[in-house]
Amino acid sequence: MNATASAAALEALEADLLLEGVARHWGFDLRSHSRPRLLRRLRRHLREERLESFSALQARVLHDSEALEGLLRALSSTPPGLFADAAFFRDFRARVVPVLRTWPSVRVWHAGCGTGEDTYALAILLHEEGLWGRCRLYASDASEGLLADARTGVLPLPGEDDARRHAESGGRGSLSDYYTRDGNWALLQPKLRDGIFFTQHNLTIDGSFNEFHVILCRDTLLSFNRALHNRVHARLYESLARFGFLCLGRKESLARTPHAAAYEELEGSGHIFRRVT
Amino acid sequence: MSVGLLVVGAPRSAGADVETLLSVLPAHLPTPVVVALHRGPHDLLAAPLGRRCALPVVEPDDKDDLVPGRVYLAPWGYHLLVDRGSVALSVEPPEHGCRPAIDALFESAADSYGAAAAALLFAGHEDGQEGLNLLQARGGRVAVVRGGSEGGEGQEGEVERLSLAEVGGWLTRLAYVARGRVQP
Repeated sequence: MNATASAAALEALEADLLLEGVARHWGFDLRSHSRPRLLRRLRRHLREERLESFSALQARVLHDSEALEGLLRALSSTPPGLFADAAFFRDFRARVVPVLRTWPSVRVWHAGCGTGEDTYALAILLHEEGLWGRCRLYASDASEGLLADARTGVLPLPGEDDARRHAESGGRGSLSDYYTRDGNWALLQPKLRDGIFFTQHNLTIDGSFNEFHVILCRDTLLSFNRALHNRVHARLYESLARFGFLCLGRKESLARTPHAAAYEELEGSGHIFRRVT
Repeated sequence: MSVGLLVVGAPRSAGADVETLLSVLPAHLPTPVVVALHRGPHDLLAAPLGRRCALPVVEPDDKDDLVPGRVYLAPWGYHLLVDRGSVALSVEPPEHGCRPAIDALFESAADSYGAAAAALLFAGHEDGQEGLNLLQARGGRVAVVRGGSEGGEGQEGEVERLSLAEVGGWLTRLAYVARGRVQP
């Protein structure tokens, strides 16, 4: 084995030990996460923390819960702004909203909400479509730190691009009607913020906590390996009412998941599926 | 060690050269080919790039299998990482202003395939250089391709340089050289 190959093997070993330590000490099992993504995020985190090795990171994370929170935050990905994926919200308005109008009450779960950008975008959309009164919106994430950010209802001030994407998504009013400006920050309206139930929920270990008519879980499962991804899909299936909607990311598929046959994809939508059995 | 994966990175300016590369891939290629080409949200690439290619060109979904003899094109808005025989898409922030980024693909190829990966980088952008160096350090076979009519200049520094016309020969030699090389 040459020097670089042995360095690579050592790094892989240190990564395994770090993940093992975090799982056993803190109960956050990252061992079933997508390995290439995990390695890249961990390396980036090392550079930002100015640490030499995963062993050094392990020593810090095991003794310091704030360091753990920092690590979990480094491993998360949230969209850069409101309505970041305008095409999805446009499809949601066109294909899902008309069905929701026919239901007396609607429970919506945003699984993996991160710092809440998509949650608030969805809340704005439901408000614009006149559905806010009959919707209960639950948003969950495994990280308390990210949830704490989401709960504040404070986001970086939307710019022209955000306003344009909101319009592309079919937004009727002005995006700025939904927040008040405070310097470079936007404080979302209390009527939106207070109507969202933010709750800590770890998709990898926690069970189903309700039955929902709509589940948003977009690009969250990219972080998991295939086995865990399929286990989580089983849980999403259990949590979704018959004829409910499952909204995945643009490049996520149900093809190899255990309940693929129970869903129909809405034609021409960006990966919105409807549970049919 | 035989080659198990070919990764290709190219800046936007090299789109036509990538099409040429794909047209010289043999129809019975024994490895998957994964391409990270810088692109915008409205670039439809799979169909045009597949026109002259003997192999199917697809934009994979997350966690799709990597099948030999297929060309996988990184979708816009995601990094395409490889994970021992399957695709792992990621929405990490853009690198060098790009998503998909070439460095992301090459780094994952180095981790997952090491010396069994081969990489071609089309010159013209800073993205990809770091990943190429890492892959080479892990024993992978790498080369930089100069676009257009510029000639290849053999070695420049540590990395082999090719003209577009020389890529076909490089691909043919790939399996043979990699298998025959004595491990240090």
